[in-house]
Amino acid sequence: MRTAIWLLLALLCILLYGSVIMPLREEFQGLHMAPLFQWLAESPVGVTWWLWAAIGVLSLLTANTLFCSIESIIKKSGTRNMLLVLSPQVIHIGFLFVLLGHLLSSYGSFKGTAYVMQGTVLPLPNNESVVFGEIRADAGPSGYITDWSADIRYLKEGGPFKADVIGPNSPSFHGGFGIYIKTVEFRPFPVALVELSRDPGGIWALVGGVLFLVGMTALLILKIKREQPSG
Amino acid sequence: MIILPVLPALFYLFGYYRPAFVYAGFAVQTAYVFFRGIQLGRLPIIGPHDTLYFLSFATVLFALPMTFRMRNRGRHLFPMLGLSAVFILLSLFFPPHSAPLPPVLKTFWFESHVALSFFSYALFGIAAVLGTTFLFVGEEDKDGGPAGAGLPGEAAEVLQYKAILVGYCFFSAAMVFGGIWAYFAWGTYWLWTPKELWTVILWLFYSLYLHARLRQWWSGRPSAILGIIGFGIVMFTYLGVSLLMKSSHTF
Repeated sequence: MRTAIWLLLALLCILLYGSVIMPLREEFQGLHMAPLFQWLAESPVGVTWWLWAAIGVLSLLTANTLFCSIESIIKKSGTRNMLLVLSPQVIHIGFLFVLLGHLLSSYGSFKGTAYVMQGTVLPLPNNESVVFGEIRADAGPSGYITDWSADIRYLKEGGPFKADVIGPNSPSFHGGFGIYIKTVEFRPFPVALVELSRDPGGIWALVGGVLFLVGMTALLILKIKREQPSG
Repeated sequence: MIILPVLPALFYLFGYYRPAFVYAGFAVQTAYVFFRGIQLGRLPIIGPHDTLYFLSFATVLFALPMTFRMRNRGRHLFPMLGLSAVFILLSLFFPPHSAPLPPVLKTFWFESHVALSFFSYALFGIAAVLGTTFLFVGEEDKDGGPAGAGLPGEAAEVLQYKAILVGYCFFSAAMVFGGIWAYFAWGTYWLWTPKELWTVILWLFYSLYLHARLRQWWSGRPSAILGIIGFGIVMFTYLGVSLLMKSSHTF
């Protein structure tokens, strides 16, 4: 527990430093456009050392969390209130899954953007392609565009096999990739800015988040009743 | 029209003398939030004016039931109402945001993410008030004081812990919901923006608080101080990042 407290404190200090440095250095502008580890390998260590330090501390925190959780379950097994023993460990497991998600995303994520119009064919990394059909945009009375969408069809060996409609918050997922429509402009015909994205850690981060919240809810119910002032 | 949002702050001031004013103030505050919601056709949680007002509303929403059973309720409730009044007055410096919502924000995940965030900020603010109360009252009332003297200072620290625990739950849920929204909207659940980074800093700080408080040495005065510092981080994450730093993730 004491180790966890010191590691959390160290991580806090490192990220506080990073939050000051990041807006001041131009090198960090490209951080979104490549997987984290690829970007770290290509960027000067003099600028990124704090990120490496944060990763190091997180690795230690991961190991500490695992060992502490196992030790806690072994020491406290057989106690009457096993839910109070297990719920913090479910929280810890959730946290570890979130870290796993970030680790996978840091290696294997991909993002690419393109302007497309009706009839544009975009190749996909899995030797398939996607063709864009009608692109639509709804405008309000003031001319402000209030919604947009596009019809797409997936092609394999030149033949269509799947159709979908993409819109804001409604991407199309296929083959581990997501196709997102970011915005639509009239030039004067409709042109859409689309993004092809792959984030392999997403599902693990979601699993971790759900486990974390389940554990927190259980712990909250138990602690609220149990915690009273002494004396 | 400016009277309606300011009225609750005045009622809370009179509430120090007559408790009925507190409930009247909260009723007016709730009415203004509803009015903005009906005017906009959605939850009023975009822009500094609406978010500050929503935060002031959430502070009282949690403060009233949390202090309900306290014998000397006013000692703890009034500073919380003061905090709410500060948020109300700050909101007046910014015009209400009434522009149409961008399509990417029209989703349950976004609205839930923001609402949960402000519920957690309100609870962290309440915790800071309780920590302050503990530090200034706690030493006198540590042994409970005379019968009927009110909430012992030590119990204020326990209530601070509970407020932070609930706030931490809401904040963690806000981060999960925000990640889900970001995945559907932007193609990734994480972006390296100042807001996201400070959100993690805030989450780590309260994780530190919750772990440290389990140690004997940290409970009591040290954890009360941590709870107060935490709210400073909350305010920087919410207002400081949005006003002082360039980020796509502002109000």
